[in-house]
Amino acid sequence: MIRFQGLTKRYGSLTAVRDLTLEVRPGEVYALLGPNGAGKTTALRCLATLLQPTEGTASVSGADALHNPLEVRRRIAFLAASMGLYERLTARELVEYFGRLHGLDGEHLQARVDELVALFGLGEFRNRVCGRLSTGQRQRVSLARALVHDPEALILDEPTLGLDVLSGQTIYDFISWERSRKKAILFSTHQMEEVELLADRVGVLRRGELVAEGTPEDLLERTGEPNLARAFLSLVSENAPVEAT
Amino acid sequence: MSPWWIVFKKEIRETLRDRRTLQMMIAVPVLLYPVILIASEQILLFGRRSLEAERQPVAVLGEAPPDLMRLIEARERIRVVTLEGGEERAIDAIRQDSLAAAVVLGPPAAEDQTRQAMILFDAISDRSTRGRRELATAMDQWADTLLAQRLGERGLPASFARPVAVADSSVARPEEVGGYTLGRILPLLLVVITLLGTFYPAIDLAAGEKERGTLETLLTAPVPPASVVAGKFVTVALIGVLAAALNLGSMLMTFQTGVLQFVGSFGLDFQIPLSAVVIIFATLVPLAVLFGAVCLGIAVHSSSFKEAQNALTPVYMLVLLPAMLPMFPGIDFKPSLALVPVAGVSFLFRDLMAGDADFVLGTLVLLSTVTYAAMALVFAAGAFGSEDVLFGASGDDAEVSTESLWTRVRKRSFRHRTPTVRAALTFVVAVAVLFFWMGVTLQVRYRELGVLLSEILLLLIPALVFVRLGGYAARETLSLRLPTGRAVGGALLMALGATPLAWGIGWIQSFFLPIPWEMLEGFEQLLTAETTTRLLWLILLLAVTPAICEEFVFRGVLLGGTRSMKTWQFVLLNGAIFGAFHLSFETVIRFLPTAWLGIVISWTVWRTRSLWAGSLMHLINNGSIVLLGTSPALKEKFSDPNTPLPVWIFPLAGLSLWAGTRVLSKLRPARGAEDLAALWKEG
Repeated sequence: MIRFQGLTKRYGSLTAVRDLTLEVRPGEVYALLGPNGAGKTTALRCLATLLQPTEGTASVSGADALHNPLEVRRRIAFLAASMGLYERLTARELVEYFGRLHGLDGEHLQARVDELVALFGLGEFRNRVCGRLSTGQRQRVSLARALVHDPEALILDEPTLGLDVLSGQTIYDFISWERSRKKAILFSTHQMEEVELLADRVGVLRRGELVAEGTPEDLLERTGEPNLARAFLSLVSENAPVEAT
Repeated sequence: MSPWWIVFKKEIRETLRDRRTLQMMIAVPVLLYPVILIASEQILLFGRRSLEAERQPVAVLGEAPPDLMRLIEARERIRVVTLEGGEERAIDAIRQDSLAAAVVLGPPAAEDQTRQAMILFDAISDRSTRGRRELATAMDQWADTLLAQRLGERGLPASFARPVAVADSSVARPEEVGGYTLGRILPLLLVVITLLGTFYPAIDLAAGEKERGTLETLLTAPVPPASVVAGKFVTVALIGVLAAALNLGSMLMTFQTGVLQFVGSFGLDFQIPLSAVVIIFATLVPLAVLFGAVCLGIAVHSSSFKEAQNALTPVYMLVLLPAMLPMFPGIDFKPSLALVPVAGVSFLFRDLMAGDADFVLGTLVLLSTVTYAAMALVFAAGAFGSEDVLFGASGDDAEVSTESLWTRVRKRSFRHRTPTVRAALTFVVAVAVLFFWMGVTLQVRYRELGVLLSEILLLLIPALVFVRLGGYAARETLSLRLPTGRAVGGALLMALGATPLAWGIGWIQSFFLPIPWEMLEGFEQLLTAETTTRLLWLILLLAVTPAICEEFVFRGVLLGGTRSMKTWQFVLLNGAIFGAFHLSFETVIRFLPTAWLGIVISWTVWRTRSLWAGSLMHLINNGSIVLLGTSPALKEKFSDPNTPLPVWIFPLAGLSLWAGTRVLSKLRPARGAEDLAALWKEG
């Protein structure tokens, strides 16, 4: 389970995230929405142990990101829009590398890599360096890399940014599949259609504060808007009231 | 498998697949380096041969006796041409390359007198220089003939005009001469290749990873940051060592196998003993570690490959100067030089190549390089552990301004109340450059008035303009707070302690670095005060003005911008920059005492939150120097560079410094801008 409890992150006089409290249960997909600069990436980075919270906590299944970062990293997969692939490693070498960093070795590692190669259809290009892969192929390698240690929580920072429809669909299928495997999934996005398609619950950030939270239907009902895009605009506008969470 | 080993193996695999690194590591030393040397040699030899093959046209102006003409015409490498029009015509012809040189003979001298002659030539033309040399030889032969003739007429032997015959013979063996000659150039190449070997891998493994977004992914794997740094660092250092080893091997192959003809043609023999090769290689390892750590630590601050290249270029320039020192004549390898990073290594390589290495100096070089490497490693590890460095001080979610710098300057819409570290350092560098070029010009042109103008126009006003245009809070940035009574007392005690200790540092330093007497004489000349008015002017010029203008730059903008660093870091940085600012080609000796004062003053200003406390200390230091210089009685007692300061001064100074720190420790210092703003509100 993913949990933020009163998390605040400041950079000098600028507060990027203010008093964020939310929970993502196993088997639940939670979408974090917000305009640019709202604090989505900062919140996800705090959970992924890349940044240290100024106040409050972020944890995964009870392991605190600040005090027990290595344990948190063992339990999560972090996927950013940049995909984070090493251009001069082959697809298979890359998955193996992250497997080793997660403590896998020997036959167990090879078996896991074979499994992921088959699962994501990497076979035909497994020995090609990542720098020579198409965007869709890169996306599949990136997913295999993230899942090599079979994490219990997934943190996805704008996972479909810059992808075409087909590659985006791969991500949607992946998220749905992982939800069925009872993974807690937290992702940030600007795409309302993927929120409608995937999210069980939605949190809206404005200037670092969580201004609304609930199911997509809840948000539509609360704002009285006909669709999520309008509801989102209504919630992030300067005059919108902040919901007590 | 240990995490650092996993990271290292992956980094090595990736690096060996990187064409740029392979080019720098293998192609440059193994192929390009000997190819360039051999090509240069061939071009040199070709040029020399073509020059020798040509007969340079020369002219003889004036009344030339037949025996002189015979001697000139006998020279194979010149041919005599007829030139009408005298000396001016000859000069034109030489300038236009139609004539190599011309000898202008004066009127024939009376018996036993000297006849004047002059050879016209063009010093920037190889052909002309060669023509001059041939003419000079012929003229010397003619002079010898005339001398012999005069001696013969008087019945004197040839030895009469040459009472002593001096011949010299070098005791150095050809291989020693070869080592000495090439040892002046080759250490520079070794050092530079080692640096270049680490340069690209460091950029790729730090800034490159940030740019590609892979560092973020890597740091979410369950690996301690120290293991990531260790894996990357060992890779960079190993590539640097490999590049250096390949370079060394290539160099030995090139010079020792006799491929180069000119080495032999100059009577040189280049043979480095195996033991020296082993020591050179052993020294290259910590050097590569040092370069690797510095490059990695700097590169990780950059967000892209290009930015890291720009950031590391000054490192390259900084390494070049100490690496070039052995090339300059007259610089002996001393213990003080052995401790200078890179310079010590370069000198040791030179001596090893010449077969003249000193064990103690070699050990000093090795130990100091290992120490610097360890320090650089701590710096690199610290950078990798900082989220500010890895993801920026404001994070991706900070509002990003798309307006141009100038628009932001006009609107004064910078977010910070005080400058960032980068902004403060950039300002100080800009001021230093401005002061170096314009300040020197002003001081040369307007003398004492120029000193005053440069302090005000190039230090004080830029500091005020920077704070104003940057939209910073002036009171907080420049610490413009009136000091409390305790702050004044503390600053006084600190100044009374720090000033004599600065003199002490200067005196101890004089054992290692000689005091340039020209500087002292110039200083004494400046500090001549025969009237009270003159004394007051000197105090205004040399004590009051720097105490305000320099303090606004160093304890104002620089301290205001770097306060977010750790205390020891910003205090040391302030001292080092203050010391460096007072450096010039003649005044290396001023660095340590000035840096020491910078450290003490910046700590005091930080504790008191008052720039004026720093000004007071600066005033006391500079004022005491003016008084010492102008008062004959004080000068005799305290400022003779040959005699040490009275010993009793030092315990008193130490006591005063200790009391000052005790007094100032009771004050609450400010850290960052927010803390400072809160303190301002408290008063």
